[in-house]
Amino acid sequence: MQVSTKWLKDYIDIDLTADELAERFTLAGIPVENVIHAGEGLEKVVTGRIEELKAHPDSDHLQVCQMNVGEENLLQVVTGAPNVAQGQVVPVALVGAHLPNGQKISKGKMRGVASNGMLCSADELKLEIDNLPEEQKVGIYILPEDTPVGLPAAEVLGLDDDILEFELTANRGDCFSVVGLVRELAVLTKKSARLPEITVDEDDASEASALVKIGIDAPDLCSRFSARVLTNVKLAPSPEWMVKRLEGAGMRAINNVVDVTNFVMLELGQPLHAYDFDKVVGHSLTARRAVEGEPLHTLDDTNRLAKGGELVIADAENAAGLAGIMGGFESEITESTKTVILEAACFNSASIRRTSRAVGIHTEASGRFERGTNVNGTVAALDRVAQLLQEMGACKVCKGVVDVYPVQKPEIKIKFTTAQINSRLGTSYSDSEIVDVLEALGFAIDPVNKVEEMTDEVVDKVASATKNFSKAAREIGKKSNVENFIGNIGATFGNLFKNAGAKANDVAQKTGVDDFVQNISAAVGDMVKSVDIKLSSAYEATVPDWRNDVRLPDDLSEEVARVYGFDKIPSTLPKGNQQGRQSPAQVFIDRIKAILSSLGLCEELSFAFTSEAMLDKMRVPADSELRCAVPIMNPLTDVAPLLRTTLLASIFENAARNFSRKNEDVRLFEVAPVFLPKALPVTEQPLERQQVVGLLMGRREPKGWSQDAAQIDFYDAKGIVEELLAGLSIGNYVVEAGEHYALHPGKTAVFKKGRDVLVTVGEVHPAVAVALGIRKKIYVFEAEVETLHRFAAKKFSLESLPKYPSISRDLAILVSHDTAAGEVEKVIAKSGGQFFKGVTLFDVYTGERISADKKSLAFAIEFRSNERTLKDEEADAAFANILAAVEKDFGATLRS
Amino acid sequence: MEQQIKELRLRAGTAIGAASTLKELDDVRVRFLGKKGELTGLLRGMSKLSAEERPLVGKVVNEARAELEQLIAKKNSSLKAAELESKLASEKIDVTLPGRRVHAGHLHPLTLTLNRVKEIFISMGYSVEEGPEVETDYYNFEALNLPKDHPARDMQDSFYITEEILLRTQTSPVQARTMERHKDNEPIRMIAPGRVYRRDDYDASHSPMFTQVEGLVIDKGISFADLKGTLEDFSKKIFGEKTKIRLRPSFFPFTEPSAEVDVSCVMCHGEGCKVCQGTGWLEILGAGMVHPDVLKMSGYDPDKVSGFAFGMGIERIAMLTYGLDDMRLLYDNDVRFLKQF
Repeated sequence: MQVSTKWLKDYIDIDLTADELAERFTLAGIPVENVIHAGEGLEKVVTGRIEELKAHPDSDHLQVCQMNVGEENLLQVVTGAPNVAQGQVVPVALVGAHLPNGQKISKGKMRGVASNGMLCSADELKLEIDNLPEEQKVGIYILPEDTPVGLPAAEVLGLDDDILEFELTANRGDCFSVVGLVRELAVLTKKSARLPEITVDEDDASEASALVKIGIDAPDLCSRFSARVLTNVKLAPSPEWMVKRLEGAGMRAINNVVDVTNFVMLELGQPLHAYDFDKVVGHSLTARRAVEGEPLHTLDDTNRLAKGGELVIADAENAAGLAGIMGGFESEITESTKTVILEAACFNSASIRRTSRAVGIHTEASGRFERGTNVNGTVAALDRVAQLLQEMGACKVCKGVVDVYPVQKPEIKIKFTTAQINSRLGTSYSDSEIVDVLEALGFAIDPVNKVEEMTDEVVDKVASATKNFSKAAREIGKKSNVENFIGNIGATFGNLFKNAGAKANDVAQKTGVDDFVQNISAAVGDMVKSVDIKLSSAYEATVPDWRNDVRLPDDLSEEVARVYGFDKIPSTLPKGNQQGRQSPAQVFIDRIKAILSSLGLCEELSFAFTSEAMLDKMRVPADSELRCAVPIMNPLTDVAPLLRTTLLASIFENAARNFSRKNEDVRLFEVAPVFLPKALPVTEQPLERQQVVGLLMGRREPKGWSQDAAQIDFYDAKGIVEELLAGLSIGNYVVEAGEHYALHPGKTAVFKKGRDVLVTVGEVHPAVAVALGIRKKIYVFEAEVETLHRFAAKKFSLESLPKYPSISRDLAILVSHDTAAGEVEKVIAKSGGQFFKGVTLFDVYTGERISADKKSLAFAIEFRSNERTLKDEEADAAFANILAAVEKDFGATLRS
Repeated sequence: MEQQIKELRLRAGTAIGAASTLKELDDVRVRFLGKKGELTGLLRGMSKLSAEERPLVGKVVNEARAELEQLIAKKNSSLKAAELESKLASEKIDVTLPGRRVHAGHLHPLTLTLNRVKEIFISMGYSVEEGPEVETDYYNFEALNLPKDHPARDMQDSFYITEEILLRTQTSPVQARTMERHKDNEPIRMIAPGRVYRRDDYDASHSPMFTQVEGLVIDKGISFADLKGTLEDFSKKIFGEKTKIRLRPSFFPFTEPSAEVDVSCVMCHGEGCKVCQGTGWLEILGAGMVHPDVLKMSGYDPDKVSGFAFGMGIERIAMLTYGLDDMRLLYDNDVRFLKQF
């Protein structure tokens, strides 16, 4: 929706600038997205007549003009435009002008001849050039010859009008009209609006209802269909003022009939459609559902086939238009149109929205119906069109409106208390402040019968007050010996508690007990007072028929808040305390991230999408369950049509991107979910499992003048996994050679706890690296967060520092080449005896100095007692035991 | 004799002064004060003196010895200092050579930002709740008062898995799920951070996946003023004490009243600059009082309790705090970028 400020000012006296208007509207919930300052840059452009035209003495294309710009002296301007002639009135940019295209005009000479300005082209003024004659598209913009000189060009060009571009929210269909906006503006500025007075002179004696038949076959999709018949229609261009208003609203003028229907739609928010009476078969229009495959020839001269079910307006034979979206081609208004059927209807928003999306047509009309129009506004809109066309002398109006309105829309009434509104907002507006705003917005506000409308809270208060009161009355009654008083006062109170105070006084006076009077009236007075506050603010609001968005007291609270301004609402904090926390699972993930980042890895965050091609690159076997990825029905691109089943897909993609950007030292990790469907095709939500993956490639140490240039290898990656597990307090795991589709078959290790795999780590299979375009060795690890969490020690256990010294013995042995060091370590630990404390492999050697089928392993073995200083002999004995075991199990020999 | 001593002291003094190394100095000491040294020699010659002369000369000799020893000690320490100095001078290195760096790891800027947001709300008593990223239409839309064909669904173009299952477009479904888990109008104070998905092209200011934090507070007597105060408090904590907020009425189907929330520009503090496009304000979140229908759908009684909700994009906050001008930086995961945080 866009509208010119002038149009708004037709209906309300305001002296706010466009920017001020924009701010007022925006801060009241009617957002202005943009203000177009029309005429910006035309401040020093005026109309001028070419009084004299001479060829430039030193140029064959320049001309020297003497311009009358409404001043005493003529102004000399040199122009290069070919389309100028003496007597023409044209826009002249004076010295100092800063044109919309950025050009600055200063005094100057053109080939020696002084030039004090510039004649402007339409383009230089940023005018629409589509409808201009060819020569004016490139040359100077020519104004009508009778245009007065010396006038601001902006005014003459109708560019002195600022435009507000609204970005209306989905709930405020009523602001999709000038009148709707003016109504809001009137409330916001406390000014009164002058809404158009709509009167029609039905000057054609024939009855509309005798000429046309209107019907609704789909009352769920069309709640009202009103029509008028206009005769003696004379098609002509619209008057200038209307053209300007339409242009200001971003619409193009076509002819008076079409323009007026558009004008009224913009003015009142009710879309209208005009049919050529003679082209409507049977002179009958019915709102019905389309039949599947039914042909639809729409105004844009496109032939469509109905999907079936969409609402159409049909004549006796064919669909004559997509209801609320676009009219039909055959019944379009043309030069030959004599009689017009004018339609104003109310359509179901959801249905219009569905159809509009399905056919891909979004019009001014469909936009309004989607947000909801005022069902009670159809006749006024018809009348307004008739009135305006009549004023232009463009038609006669038949008697009556053919109005099919099967079910009258009920009035919406909302019961509310001002306390309710204040407590929702946290404000303390008075009753009258609240009522005033709502009334100004068009709500009818009635105070409701107080007793009837007592809320639970009020009833409780009254009950407890009554209890106190009767108790007091009884006490005093006893003393005063007025037995029947209690009965009296109770009855009186029940019916008319408001008068209870007075009644009590009366009764008490009769008894003549002074202190009773005092007591009893105080009790009653307080009670009535507290109840009164609640009850006096109970109201019923009748929602104006143009507001489709107000239904609940909560909606009323918004009205109050937005009109007074959200800035007037105080700032408080919720009362009461609650304990803030993260779940153990969230804390665990944070811990993983902290550990991995402390180990030198950077956290990546990636999209959850992947593709078959990526799974191919990763060598995921065809029958792997990782191939069962959830497909997205409407993916953004074919590159990412699936939800990832493995986080490796994401980290590989990031590694490849980094490598292609010449980042060769990459250490990444990510903790994120993968999506595993329970079945394909998907019928329910997939499982979401958190995974952690890490990737390393490139140098072991950052590049530097004295750093090792060695590349990362398997053991760097494995070391990081070991540190991660240590950091998560996961111990006593087993590491074995393993298999993984994306990893080197000989360089894959699996960390296990029983049957559960904690982590898989390894070198990426060279074929995968090649597929990723990475000419480097890559190492990755992957783990399921849930599994890690399950095995992470719940409690921290500190290993106390040793009190006694330990004894270390080195064991260097030769074993066969394929012996796993891990197995040897296991045997050492097992045979180490009670004082064994740990083993560290500190050297591995293969090479010339030993036979080719052997390797040398050197272990440092530590022995210690927790009770005393160990004797050398004890360590020696344990060491001998170990040696015997490795000799036996691996055929190891001590290396000499 | 005395004359001899005097002359010896003079010579010894000169020799000490002339010694340029510790070795030379030691030679001087031996020459004059050693067992076979000159002064010792003079002392031996004292036996030739008379008993009266002996104590006098002895005294002079001892004085001379003490004096020379002192001179030597002094010279010794100055020579040592000089020697150390020259040793240190010879050890000089080029301190401008770069240090030996290690690979430092970094958390992603979105994680850092989210952690700050979480900390702030946890300190205000909020629990951190989570829910699935692949959601049902019911939780993502309907339970939030967005029935099918609601025009506001257009605001969020979704990735669909089936007609009824989609990638969540907001973390609000976590609200509905959390409310359903609570009974008897129990108070709730929660935030739901997480990934959300919208069918937006990937460009400088859009991304098909981004991070949202949704907040929800439900209790007796919760008001719009509480919402305003909470957001003010949060904005000051995350953007600095001077931050102001502005609420503009807006429309969300799940809240009533609803507001778009701006903070005073973190760059220009409201003066107007390129970042805030001259307005002085930056839109950072949407908020409102929970719509009574939303409360009802998840088992809460809007007559007994009320609540507020808010939602914000973590990317937006991260981009503002770190001065990023292109959202793609966050998801390209270029290590040169990641290493800066």
